[in-house]
Amino acid sequence: MAKITAGIATSHVPLVGVGIDQGKQDEPYFKPIFAGYEWTKDWISQPDNKPDVVVLVFNDHASAFGQDLIPTFAIGCAEEFAPADEGWGPRPVPNVKNHPDLAWHIAQSLIIDEFDMTIINEMDVDHGLTVPLSAMFGQPDAWPTLVVPIMINVVTYPIASGDRCFRLGEAIARAVESFPEDLNVQIWGTGGMSHQLQGPRAGLINAEWDQKFLDDLTADPDRLRQIPHIEYLRETGSEGIELVMWLVMLGALNAPKELYRHYHVPASNTALGHIVLENNP
Amino acid sequence: MDKDLKNYKQAFEDIPGTRVFTTERARQGYWLNQFCMSLMKPENRKKWLADEDAYLKDWKITDEQKEALLARDYNRLLDLGGNIYFLAKVFSTDGLSFVQAVSTMTGMNVDDYKAMMSAGGRSPDGVRSIKDGQ
Repeated sequence: MAKITAGIATSHVPLVGVGIDQGKQDEPYFKPIFAGYEWTKDWISQPDNKPDVVVLVFNDHASAFGQDLIPTFAIGCAEEFAPADEGWGPRPVPNVKNHPDLAWHIAQSLIIDEFDMTIINEMDVDHGLTVPLSAMFGQPDAWPTLVVPIMINVVTYPIASGDRCFRLGEAIARAVESFPEDLNVQIWGTGGMSHQLQGPRAGLINAEWDQKFLDDLTADPDRLRQIPHIEYLRETGSEGIELVMWLVMLGALNAPKELYRHYHVPASNTALGHIVLENNP
Repeated sequence: MDKDLKNYKQAFEDIPGTRVFTTERARQGYWLNQFCMSLMKPENRKKWLADEDAYLKDWKITDEQKEALLARDYNRLLDLGGNIYFLAKVFSTDGLSFVQAVSTMTGMNVDDYKAMMSAGGRSPDGVRSIKDGQ
């Protein structure tokens, strides 16, 4: 049977992709950013921890989805996905290969479980999905894992509540665990932490709030799932709302144990957060 | 979370220096944002940079939106229904990074903005709520 063994969360700041793509990892600005991923890169390369499939929760940043189509929750079921051209040409990274049988199984299971997913068969994937892969795996010729993309709207309001995202995660776990193939599956939540990219209040960072959020992923998940949107907006900046995607990851885990965390300000306009959680399935 | 739609949205307007991308803003900025999406194609970026005025003739955007676009006035574009992830296609086409473009909305020059970020960013103290002044 397929099993969710771990959850990994990380910010998906475009600049982190730029740093890797342009070989700037050793520059003073980037060094502390990338040093914080070394532990995880080592951990994930161990045979026991290497995922067969990552269920990767991300948001599209007006790349595959404009204003013409705004799915609240969507799942990518195609064979593979190419990196998107976000205005400066596509990132020089491999295509992302799916596990279509698992993706279709999750899509059907979620719908039967009353999560009315939009199914995506054509999608270019932007930095929201590719930067976390680069952060964990560097620059391989092919990504060493298959990826089932789960796309969450965090751009046009109202977006799904944190609690709804958490419950989507629970349903994803039920779906994965009913898939007959023996697979080591990880669930990744991406985006955040505090940042605001717009208006006179841009540049907002709330390290204290972020650290408490990281603490409570293991100490008090019930508090996190009840945080209303307005609190994210006020406390973590308008783009800090991406943290609801970490709650999808959290919902898919059972009594997780923290193995590692990394927190650094700034990466571009953003507080970069990263955590590795072991699952107890 | 507040399930009363009016209360849910009213709270958004109480955050200083912030435009939450509500459906009202999405409707107002529909063609502005869709224009931005067109810049994801290299051939369109080339056309846009060659003659911005002419390029915009094909899009149903308002005169105000057009003026703000040509001036790269991002705060005004947000007021006119633009969304930052869409507008990112415009500043990326200009060769600007997120830090460079975002700093233009803060009234700070880019070096001061970078220095603020390196020192830990903008504190939420004093900019959480307009009505509570905190």
